[in-house]
Amino acid sequence: MSTLHTEEMTLNMGPQHPSTHGVLRFVVRADGEVMREAIPDVGYLHRSIEKIAEKVGYHGFMPYTDRVDYVCAMFTNQGWGMACEKLAGIEVPRRGEYCRVIAAEFNRIASHLLSVGAMAMDIGAVTPFTHAIREREMINDLIEELCGARLTFNYMRIGGVAWDLPPGWREKALAYLDHFDPILEEYNALISWNKIYIERLANVGAITPAEAINYNLVGPNLRACGIKWDIRKDIPYSAYPDFEFEVPIGDGHWGKLGDSMDRYVVRIREMAESSKILRQALAKIPGGPVLAKVARNFKPPAGECQIRLESGRGDMGWYVVSDGTGYPWRVHVRTGSFAAMGIIQKLSAGLMIADLVTLIASLDVIAPEIDR
Amino acid sequence: METLVQNLIASGAFGRNASPDMVATIVVFVMSAVVFLGVAFPFAGIVSWAERRVWARIQSRVGPNRVGPQGFLQWLADGVKHVCKEDIIPDESDAPLFKMAPYLVMLAFTLPWAVMPFSSSLILADLNVGILYMTSVTALTVVGVLMAGWASNDKWSLIGGIRSAAQIVSYEIPAGLSIFPVVLMTGTLSMQGIIRAQGWAPQHWFLFANPFTFVAANILYISALAEGNRTPFDLPEAESELVAGFATEYSGMRYLFFFMAEWGNLFIIGAIIATLFLGGWQFPHVTKNVVAMNILEAVTFNVKVLILVFVSMWIRATLPRVRIDQLMTLCWKYFVPISFVDMIGTAVWVAIWPDGNAAMGYIMFAGALALAAVFIQRVIYYLRRSRMEVYFNPTI
Amino acid sequence: MGAVSEYVGNIKEAVSSIFEGMAVTASHFMRKPYTVQYPDRMPVRVQDTLPFRYRGILEVDLEICTGCLACERACPIDCIVIVVDKDPQTRQMLLSQFDIDIAKCMYCGLCSEPCPTGSIHHTTEFEGADYSLESLIRRFVKDPVMAYKPKKGPETDTAIAPILNRGMAYLDQWAQPGGEKPAAEEEEPA
Repeated sequence: MSTLHTEEMTLNMGPQHPSTHGVLRFVVRADGEVMREAIPDVGYLHRSIEKIAEKVGYHGFMPYTDRVDYVCAMFTNQGWGMACEKLAGIEVPRRGEYCRVIAAEFNRIASHLLSVGAMAMDIGAVTPFTHAIREREMINDLIEELCGARLTFNYMRIGGVAWDLPPGWREKALAYLDHFDPILEEYNALISWNKIYIERLANVGAITPAEAINYNLVGPNLRACGIKWDIRKDIPYSAYPDFEFEVPIGDGHWGKLGDSMDRYVVRIREMAESSKILRQALAKIPGGPVLAKVARNFKPPAGECQIRLESGRGDMGWYVVSDGTGYPWRVHVRTGSFAAMGIIQKLSAGLMIADLVTLIASLDVIAPEIDR
Repeated sequence: METLVQNLIASGAFGRNASPDMVATIVVFVMSAVVFLGVAFPFAGIVSWAERRVWARIQSRVGPNRVGPQGFLQWLADGVKHVCKEDIIPDESDAPLFKMAPYLVMLAFTLPWAVMPFSSSLILADLNVGILYMTSVTALTVVGVLMAGWASNDKWSLIGGIRSAAQIVSYEIPAGLSIFPVVLMTGTLSMQGIIRAQGWAPQHWFLFANPFTFVAANILYISALAEGNRTPFDLPEAESELVAGFATEYSGMRYLFFFMAEWGNLFIIGAIIATLFLGGWQFPHVTKNVVAMNILEAVTFNVKVLILVFVSMWIRATLPRVRIDQLMTLCWKYFVPISFVDMIGTAVWVAIWPDGNAAMGYIMFAGALALAAVFIQRVIYYLRRSRMEVYFNPTI
Repeated sequence: MGAVSEYVGNIKEAVSSIFEGMAVTASHFMRKPYTVQYPDRMPVRVQDTLPFRYRGILEVDLEICTGCLACERACPIDCIVIVVDKDPQTRQMLLSQFDIDIAKCMYCGLCSEPCPTGSIHHTTEFEGADYSLESLIRRFVKDPVMAYKPKKGPETDTAIAPILNRGMAYLDQWAQPGGEKPAAEEEEPA
């Protein structure tokens, strides 16, 4: 009795696709609806940003860092600032650190809003995306008043931030936070606890803690596996030691530990935590300068340094090698999305094609960060 | 119908030796053309505009409001744009099948209008198997969609077509089974017969006749949504996975035919539910004038169907999509057993109370009003919490 | 028995969560849309509603440009081209070319930061789309002009004073390094 002859399909989820988050390509080998393997193909968005740093110098590179991860531009700005400050031994004034934290946490909320909204849209619900974008637009309005731009902020400088909080901004920010907390609950009622949504996300792409560490996952992806690792708490930097906040981790409540639902819920909870940090920061912000004195032709001493910070995607590492001139010798950014692409190939065996979309969305992969 | 033919022959408009068959054929042609071209196709277009406006308000946006008053002519503009597009037929595709597929899907949308009961005398053909005809003819969509998926010579379209075939064929079963309770209660399959067995007041509707028909109505509505490829069951055209599923390779008017059929199906879904469970065109007898009664009845029917169309759009805006294996689980493990339970329960009910139980109608109706009150209370809760400006005006 | 309760529980969860979701959506149906119907159904021009710090298209007030080339050096994408020479007859600095390629400009603000008078600044204008690439190179110098020499005290020329005041107000928005400026809470908006 011979078995039915079946063939494997090779599909191309190409660089232009409505649901890969940016310009990504997957070569999918599928047996009907069930995949055997999904091989990622990156590099469509490579812009040689790290090489550009060697041409434009330290101050000039700050706007380019916005483009490394345009959804989390404040974090990339802060990373570059911190790396150069560590090289040259510059200390940022206290108020400057608080401004950095405020801007960064607003950016974290905006980034997570985009992530959970896009995830809901990939699963098929179109409304939560527009609601998330509406809330993001309100944050963009706030940041536009602060620094003049809505996406590529260029807010921070080596030694602090470029603009102080304008008059009346604190009240507007607090009013926004008062508006945001009930909206987050409403968002949860609409989609997060929806049975169809939970069924789509639970048990999809479960990652064990050992696998997560082996594959270099960071940020919400790592915390969803139950590992409590957050740079803001474990290697504190900037003004974070002054604030009290929790680090949400996944607990496998809806399915296996480390599945897509855990990653989603960790992001929702992180937004609530960021809101808490923001309230504390806006209340406790000290007076004083926001920018340290840094030479216009900045020449850090020769050497290398590496810093880590907790961006929206996770542990972002900046590595700078200086040769004593006004232009860096080598700059390297280590981003969380690059590692996440690696684990997709391993997790994709046995998933359905619809689940591949869920998996990419839940790992919060942003294409410019992968390719730089 | 016969009286109409006899009146027309007697009026002498067709000459002295008109044969009744000839006149009847001409009357049927003209009436069908009126219904299809005047009601069905414009409805399919207008509902695309209405869906975009309804979605937009749910999503805190505005929707099309520039082309014509409140954007009402947007669907005409879309139609003209699609007609002007290049008709691309992929090189390696199976051209005859590729071209025929949209027409089959349109056929599945056009045929049910023959038994649409607009009012007590406005029905094209009061078949005595009306509801059976309606559900079986809407299943023609499978052939069209599968043809489109295969003939496109595109693996993604094929996946969309196969998914759709599995989905529509599976959900025929709960849909058919959920019609049984109504048929048991009335003893007839004809649309007008079923409507006449209900009353105009909500407690006399079959929706509230007994708990089994209430559940059967919900299952029928959800299965009909699944058959019409609407979210939460729109896997065949899942935009985020398959770009446009089985319709990916289509451009221009062919593409629009698929979606006109989908939008027009909304009316048919609403009509099925309105006829079977919501009392159809029943309106209290307020006047002896036949024409006025017919107009009132037609308006009632249309209002009920349009409310259900609105609910379909609302559901589509709210819910995410189910995966193919969850869709199958839902159908075979949940809907089919529950439909069987409904059928048996209704059979027992009809055996005990052959003439229906009026008290149950009142109780169920009161329960439904309580549920609606809870719903409105939740809506007000969310309105109050969000501190966003309340704005009831549909125009903007 | 566990399977039956799980079955019933699934149905109950599905119905209740979908009920809540529909209530949220229904409540949204009655809220004001957040859309700004640009450009024709707005009470004021969008450009007038943008904040003062908005980084729109660059503009140069040549009356107060000192020809120091700080902006040209600071630009990370080399979109500013300035030619300034010492005029042999008058021994003054003469600006003969000041071009900004707004197609290249990345609106980062690094040029307006080091300007001593606030002559190069971002406006709130953002509608720069045009049909020709040539028109995207804004040439600010028509005829060669003298570079501005900042005075020791306040500016006395009544034509230049308001421009200079606006430029300095723009520069005041930026953080002063090292603490020469107190915290911004009690200041008037610019």
